[in-house]
Amino acid sequence: MARYFIRRALSLIPTLFIVITLSFFLIRLAPGGPFARERDVPEAILQNLLKRYHMDEPLFKQYLRYMGDVVRWDFGPSYRYRDLTVNEIIDKGLPVSMSLGVTSLLMAVIAGVSVGIVSALKQNRWPDYIAVAVAVIGISVPLFVMGPVLQLIFGMKLKILPIGQWISTHGIKAMILPAVTLSFPYFAYIARLSRASILEVLRSDYIRTARAKGLKESVVVWKHVLKGAMLPVVTYLGPAFSGIVVGSVVVESVFLVPGIGRPFVQSALNRDYTLIMAEVVVYSVILIIANLVVDLVYGLLDPRISYK
Amino acid sequence: MANKKAQHAVNEFNQVMKPVSLWADAWKRLRKNKMALISLYVVSFYIIISLFAPVLTSMGILIDYRKQVINNASLPPSFRPAGELVVKKIEARIASLEERAKEKEQQQDAFSFFNFGAAEQPAEGGEMGDQGETGAFSFTYEGAGFSGNTTDPVIRELISQKETLEHVKAELDTNPDYKLVYLLGTDDLGRDMLARIIYGGRISIAIGLVGTLTAALVGILIGSISGYVGGWLDNLIMRVVDIMYGLPYMLIVIIIMAMIGEKARGSFVVLFVAIALVSWLTISRVVRGQIISLKNSEFVEAARSMGASTPRIIFRHLLPNTLGVIIVFSTLMMPSFIMNESFLSFLGLGVSAPDASWGTLVSEGVRAMESYAWQLLGPGIAMTIFLFCMNFLGDGLRDALDPQSKNRT
Repeated sequence: MARYFIRRALSLIPTLFIVITLSFFLIRLAPGGPFARERDVPEAILQNLLKRYHMDEPLFKQYLRYMGDVVRWDFGPSYRYRDLTVNEIIDKGLPVSMSLGVTSLLMAVIAGVSVGIVSALKQNRWPDYIAVAVAVIGISVPLFVMGPVLQLIFGMKLKILPIGQWISTHGIKAMILPAVTLSFPYFAYIARLSRASILEVLRSDYIRTARAKGLKESVVVWKHVLKGAMLPVVTYLGPAFSGIVVGSVVVESVFLVPGIGRPFVQSALNRDYTLIMAEVVVYSVILIIANLVVDLVYGLLDPRISYK
Repeated sequence: MANKKAQHAVNEFNQVMKPVSLWADAWKRLRKNKMALISLYVVSFYIIISLFAPVLTSMGILIDYRKQVINNASLPPSFRPAGELVVKKIEARIASLEERAKEKEQQQDAFSFFNFGAAEQPAEGGEMGDQGETGAFSFTYEGAGFSGNTTDPVIRELISQKETLEHVKAELDTNPDYKLVYLLGTDDLGRDMLARIIYGGRISIAIGLVGTLTAALVGILIGSISGYVGGWLDNLIMRVVDIMYGLPYMLIVIIIMAMIGEKARGSFVVLFVAIALVSWLTISRVVRGQIISLKNSEFVEAARSMGASTPRIIFRHLLPNTLGVIIVFSTLMMPSFIMNESFLSFLGLGVSAPDASWGTLVSEGVRAMESYAWQLLGPGIAMTIFLFCMNFLGDGLRDALDPQSKNRT
């Protein structure tokens, strides 16, 4: 197990390496530098600017320098926000984004699995139909439609929840709308997934055996059915988490959450090279670690999987 | 007699059996699924409308989506002609302005009352007249309006609104712009929302279709070669696919869109290529799996023994047998394509003006949603219905084409 973990952890390195290399060269090959916007910069000043950011060096040297910096988790100064280093921006935003993401994932799993259980146990009765309908709607409504509509209803018309900003200004209430928006599609998918897999497990032989032994129905459902039925849900957690991470970019923009999603979009729009790179690295690390965790949890749930 | 028997298969009771093809069988199953069938109709409706949108515009049924009528800006959805709505809108504005003017007047009364004797306060040029003695400063907007030298913004707007109202009323029967009917309202530049949604859908659906086709072709090609040839090539390709799976691809698409820059970004060729390049992974895995499970079957063996070449075996014998799975995956891929495209457009990294996709329309609607909710709800609902139906259709097709599928949810 420990060996497997170490091997998996080491296998992160090539993926990260590819992500960093790819995004580095993609950005450097783009026409127009980060200072293209300042139109009337005299040549000498431009040279100084380039020198300050080491952009006068040959590309490969810049690449090596950047790799070295990333290994030390130092992303350098931001090209746009002159007084901030990229590390400061990330350090400030990451806890906010993480708490939003983790809350959303928990909400999606808890609500999704509960709806899935109810729906499967009441198959083809009205709770089931409602659950299935909600699930398909959840999968079809894009985040950037869902978010503004919720803002419109709960923030502007009913005026019961804040439409933007974060805990520092509005308290924990500020988290409700962004987290609901972000978790809804994944809640919907998890509900569907767990419904289907519970239905399948309910028909399996070991459940028949458990019932034949005369176990109580609640024991059958909670101890036997759920454990078997959660496997597909756990597999889905990896994609769900990466979806939540990407989706948080939109949700943070819609709800003005001060995380790392908004700076990412901004940096992409005004070509803040160092910031884009850092964001991609941070997001990749989060995603890869999440996938690793999911794999490990999967192994704990399913004894048939052995780690070699 | 013998001829007839050769044409139709016969069962053990000597009854003639009509052979049912896979497709006829699937169609029969799909027809039983009401939701999938309705979805199929809705999707076809969207596609037909999108295809014939220019015809509808030239016939005059649909208002030109680029036509800006500033006077008709931000009208609500209605069956009535624009002129009536404009009059109603201006009248409502005047009423609220009058309300505000009155409130202001009262406040000013109170203000002057507390600043008793401060006669230099109303330097606004209002008429103090004989009431100056009492210290109460009476300021009627009619008086100020007709004297024409007020600086109070409320009253100035009130006057100009009243002039506009006269103007609109005079032109109501002569100006063709006021005869237009905007079923879904207008945006902040006075463009027809219905036309914009239809044309936005054209772009979104086109990107979805072309992107899905590209991704499917790449995925089929790579997946089938990898599955059929096997060995080190298969290993290599699948490792590459694994690594690409690990990449946060939406983030890389964002980077690509950012580096391309404003000008090229507008062309949606770039957009769909960027998304398609990273979307072939799933389909290549699925095709590979299917090919591997089929490549040792008897009919492939037979083809090989008759000297068929590898491309012929792949394209004539193996791929047609995986077509069902490919269709199902493509149908389910299209909504995610449209969603990704709109996601980028929403962030300002996708389709740019004057073109608009559903994502652009939604992001424009968000800016105006507090006062003009229909500018958000129109494109939002249109898009959601389409995605909803595509998802249902995909599920229905999966049940129809692949009844033993384990992925049923």
